[in-house]
Formats: sequence, C-alpha cells, structure tokens
Amino acid sequence: MEFSYEVKDSYAEVKADGRLNMVSAPKLREFVTDVIAGGSNRIVVNLENTAFMDSSGLGALIGCLKAARQAGGDLRIAAVQPQVNMVLKLTSMDKVLTAYPTAEEAFSND
Amino acid sequence: MTEVLAARSFRGPAAEAAIEAVHNDLDSLWLDVPFVNDMDQMTFTTAVIESASNIVQHAEPAGDREVELGVETTVQPALLQARVSAYYAKPPYGPMDASTPADDAESGRGLALIEALVTTVTFERQDGTNTWVLSRSSSQEQPSP
Repeated sequence: MEFSYEVKDSYAEVKADGRLNMVSAPKLREFVTDVIAGGSNRIVVNLENTAFMDSSGLGALIGCLKAARQAGGDLRIAAVQPQVNMVLKLTSMDKVLTAYPTAEEAFSND
Repeated sequence: MTEVLAARSFRGPAAEAAIEAVHNDLDSLWLDVPFVNDMDQMTFTTAVIESASNIVQHAEPAGDREVELGVETTVQPALLQARVSAYYAKPPYGPMDASTPADDAESGRGLALIEALVTTVTFERQDGTNTWVLSRSSSQEQPSP
C-alpha cells in the first residue's frame, strides 16, 4: 500500500492506494498521525484506490478519526469503493465514518 | 464426487507476508472462474483474509516449531469453501463468539464480519492443527459444458 498527502485550503487529503489490511493498517495510522502532528487536524482519507479493507484497516481508520478529533478536528472518508463500502455497512461503521463522494466535498459545508 | 472447478493452496510461516500471498492467490483464483459473481468474490475474499489475519495475529505456537498458516480454497458448483488452518498452534484462547465492540473500538470486529460474509463457519482441531472452514453458497451460473 502506498500513502501520500496533500495539504489543501481547509483540509489535508491522504491517499491510501492498495490493500488496507493488517500489514498496512499500522502504517496508515502512523502516516495520518504524522500529518496531524504537522498541523492538519481536518483530514480526508481518499479511498478511491483502496481496493480492499479488512477489520484491521477499519480499526486504523477509527484510530485516525479519534486522533483527528483529539487534535480538535475531524476525519472523513471519500470515494469509497464497493468492498470497503460493504465492510463499513456490515460493521455499522458507515454511521461513524462519514463517507463523501469526493475529497473536495468532505469539508465543503463546514 | 463433488466437482472442483478451481482451487488454490497456500502454506507458509504465519507472518505478514502470508497475507499478501493468500490475497494474490485469491485474485488469481477468480480469474479461473469468472462466472462467480463480483459480490461472491468480494465477500469470500474478505472472509478468508480476515480469518488468515486472525491466525497471523493471534495463533501461538504449541511447541518449538513456529506456527504455519495454511489456506486451501476450492470453487465447486454453487459453493465456495476455504479451509484456513493454523499448524503447530495451541488451541484458540478466549471467546470464539462474535462480539459487537463499541463504536470507537479499534479491534474486535473480525469474527462478526466473517460470520456476516459467509454461510457457515465451523472449527476443527485435529493433530495440533486449528482449522476454520468457511463456506459460502454461491449464486454463480454454471459454465456451459
């Protein structure tokens, strides 16, 4: 899995490309923690190229959400693909991790 | 005798690299059986990876040998089945029932997820090997003879 980020006007966009599984989940958490430590507490995780997520990956996203909120911000997800959407719905975490069609829309109404 | 349309088999040390190898095996398996619909492929892959990850994360060696992960996947007419095994492992410790963790919990959703994804999950322990058998009834259309 490959991570990248870009600081936009009102948020930081994190891209996580590949499989978000037990191997990459701790790396996502570390990556987002570093982005938050760099001064961005409004995070959008763009899942456009995240073809797969398991419960470890979901746990990492929840950990990142908590870290963003502890820093006074929030974390939202965007461009969720079918397998990730399925895992979010089956675990009822779609109510906790708010999904937006695109990264641009995630904080557009705040 | 049950007809096996396609199969994959993996065995190796129960380590992180095994998870990617098993996932690659599954991706290649689906190329052999394109008549298995996308939903069945997606759900079954997720269940197998969850189960294999559970072994890599939690299985403890019973003796001096390191725990090995085994994953045997078969596609039969209208049935997807995987035998996910922990070799040389202690019996599983702790609850084997699916739990519903709090919304902000960062772990503990794996078993419930597996149960939601497949039709049946059974557990066997034989000769020091723990095996979870995952089965999913598939709505696949049979290929023409």
